[in-house]
Amino acid sequence: MDLLVEQIIFFAFAGMTVLAGAVVVAVRNPVHSVLALVVAFVASAGLWLLLEAEFLALVLIFVYVGAVMTLFLFVVMMLNIRELPSREGFVRFLPLALFALAAIVAMMVFVIGPQHFGLAQYAIPAHHGADYSNIRELGLVLYTHDVYPFELAAVLLLIAIIAAISLSFRGRRVGTRSQVPSAQIAVKSADRIRIIKMASEPKVKR
Amino acid sequence: MIPLSDYLIVGAILFGLSLAGIIINRKNVIILLMCIELMLLAVNTNFIAFSHYLGDNLGEIFVFFILTVAAAEAAIGLAILMVLYRNRQTINVEDLDSLKG
Amino acid sequence: MTFTIPNFIPAIPEIFMLVMICVILMTDLFLGKRIKSIAYSLTQLTLIGAFLLTMHQYGMPKVYTFDHMYVLDKLAILSKLAILLVSFFVFLYSREYIGMTKLPRGEYHILGLFAVLGMMVLVSASNFLTLYLGLEVLSLPLYAMVALKRDSGVASEAAMKYFVMGALASGMLLYGLSMLYGVSHSLDFTAVAKVVSETSPAHSLILIFGLVFIIAGIAFKMGAAPFHMWVPDVYDGSPTSVTLFISSAPKIAALIMAYRLLVESAPGLIIQWQHVLMVIAVLSIVLGNVVAIAQSNIKRMLAYSSIAHMGYMLLGIIAGTKAGYASSLFYVFTYSMMSMGAFAMLLMMSKSGFEAENIEDLQGLNSRNPWYALMMLLIMFSMAGIPPAVGFFAKLGVLEAVINANMTWLAIVALIFAIVGAYYYLRVVKVMYFDDPKDATAVTAPMDMRIAITINGLAVIALGLFPSALIGLCRNVFFG
Repeated sequence: MDLLVEQIIFFAFAGMTVLAGAVVVAVRNPVHSVLALVVAFVASAGLWLLLEAEFLALVLIFVYVGAVMTLFLFVVMMLNIRELPSREGFVRFLPLALFALAAIVAMMVFVIGPQHFGLAQYAIPAHHGADYSNIRELGLVLYTHDVYPFELAAVLLLIAIIAAISLSFRGRRVGTRSQVPSAQIAVKSADRIRIIKMASEPKVKR
Repeated sequence: MIPLSDYLIVGAILFGLSLAGIIINRKNVIILLMCIELMLLAVNTNFIAFSHYLGDNLGEIFVFFILTVAAAEAAIGLAILMVLYRNRQTINVEDLDSLKG
Repeated sequence: MTFTIPNFIPAIPEIFMLVMICVILMTDLFLGKRIKSIAYSLTQLTLIGAFLLTMHQYGMPKVYTFDHMYVLDKLAILSKLAILLVSFFVFLYSREYIGMTKLPRGEYHILGLFAVLGMMVLVSASNFLTLYLGLEVLSLPLYAMVALKRDSGVASEAAMKYFVMGALASGMLLYGLSMLYGVSHSLDFTAVAKVVSETSPAHSLILIFGLVFIIAGIAFKMGAAPFHMWVPDVYDGSPTSVTLFISSAPKIAALIMAYRLLVESAPGLIIQWQHVLMVIAVLSIVLGNVVAIAQSNIKRMLAYSSIAHMGYMLLGIIAGTKAGYASSLFYVFTYSMMSMGAFAMLLMMSKSGFEAENIEDLQGLNSRNPWYALMMLLIMFSMAGIPPAVGFFAKLGVLEAVINANMTWLAIVALIFAIVGAYYYLRVVKVMYFDDPKDATAVTAPMDMRIAITINGLAVIALGLFPSALIGLCRNVFFG
């Protein structure tokens, strides 16, 4: 890839990520926050593509933007927080937050800046050829070398299911329309239609 | 030629933003949850950048698992949020002060 | 790429647990309505089974499996045994309370077992990845358990705080781990340790930077100052049975996590993490003991006391010697036992519609049930570190380790605040013995709970009179 093009792409996506991140924190309306977070995720998926982590970049978009962010959006809409909260707290804590942000970023950049992680220490790795499959490489280790963490991840998802259901499911309420599969299966034709014997009407003679 | 440090700085800024967001946000718990997602995004970007420049896939594997955990975590977090809202009719951080010490 | 079937034998207890959890999930679904106690009985059976399986592994040589991701060493075995034993008592104590407060039995026990499984995974981790996953398997069920009392605003508020703080801690920890990974090219403890001890000074700045985040994460999870804000709120807001659980077994897992991350994977940076931990330990001891005095709510008081105890526990790690680590291990075992006993007493005093949570609720316990009062007295003496209760030897061990490491000033600070702390424990004793009860009805509890609290209380004194056996076990982990 042309170096300049790569750089332009990097700065575009990096800028978009950071900007969207700032918007998530700063805007009042939670719906806008969620949407900004979506932008941040998509932009960093772009960064991840530059880093040749194709599978994860797509997972980020499909799973994260597609499912988790939608869940967030659902919850925000469901809670129906229409009134925009005032900003008193925002102004009060703004100096502290800005200070923390500046301090943390300055400290981090000092440590992780180019003097330690520049090109001299970590050269650009060779690009993989067109026949390289990132998903294949990950799949090969995921089910062999990493089978134990993989099982643990399955346990985690099971926990999430159990916890989320036990916290939010309160049994069927009366009056809501819901399916009862067992009743649907157990139904017999006799319950649905009634065959009535009727004497046929005598033919009207003309 | 993008050095590793550039990616790490993006990660650092995201991390700082999410921390600042947690400090600043006194109004809405759901934004706190979003800040945590942002923080994990920063960590993930870090891992992937290292993984690429070190030429192994350990970091990518780690990110795979972090994504799984984060999804599970988001589900539980939102479930707790729903329970909280049902009980309190608010998710304003400053109203949540019945526990003080 | 070749793949060999990993050796499953070392992980048998965990596999057994997971299978049983699924069995309980199914049984509770179909039989839970008809046989109310089924989830409870199967849970206890599972814990006993896992205990016996782990017991069987005792004495096995150190073995790695799952491509060096899982380690079974003496530390893992001993702490698993302790975790399982403590969890058994925890569920035993909570049984009545769960029925009384109408918490969903099936979900409660299943989530609890998942948390126990997470602790087992955590103490057996030999890789950042498994450590992180174990930590999450431990934490996620706990967040949900706190919120399980669904119509209580306080509980859901506590759950939200716990969740946000826990997730923040995980984020910090992960950021630190990413730095360690970037420098060492590995996620494996032994490999990282090797790189860390050979690193050039330029890189060690990055390592220290990562380490700071890791320590912050650990301190958050442990509930040590200055990352303790969530502890009192969560202890106070949770259903008491969940507080009992959070305050006991997970502390053991948290200590092992700190040990694995600091001692096993970053021994080359011992000077640096010693200094950071010193600050944390001193802050915890001072703040925990001083603020606890001002509390009138006993759950909050015990929460601040737990912050202080976490500080004492860290002293052994700070000493940086094998004897120090052994004393920390001894400390956390005895602490989880005492904490368990104290919260169990609150559970027993609660009746339907009434939660014992203020110190004055204990007024005149002696006249209501002298035996319970005696047990609580032993536990409070032990927490305060008064001989001959076991808490004295626990404190003695960590202080000795610190003094041997030439950090006498630290020992002096710890000692002074231990004396300050004794005040609020003794206040509880005073209230129990010298105040008149408001409610003179006798306190009763089912037989199994009475036996358990008796064992618990007597163990505190028995281990205090004959501490050498347990100390020997702890030392054997590091010296053997």
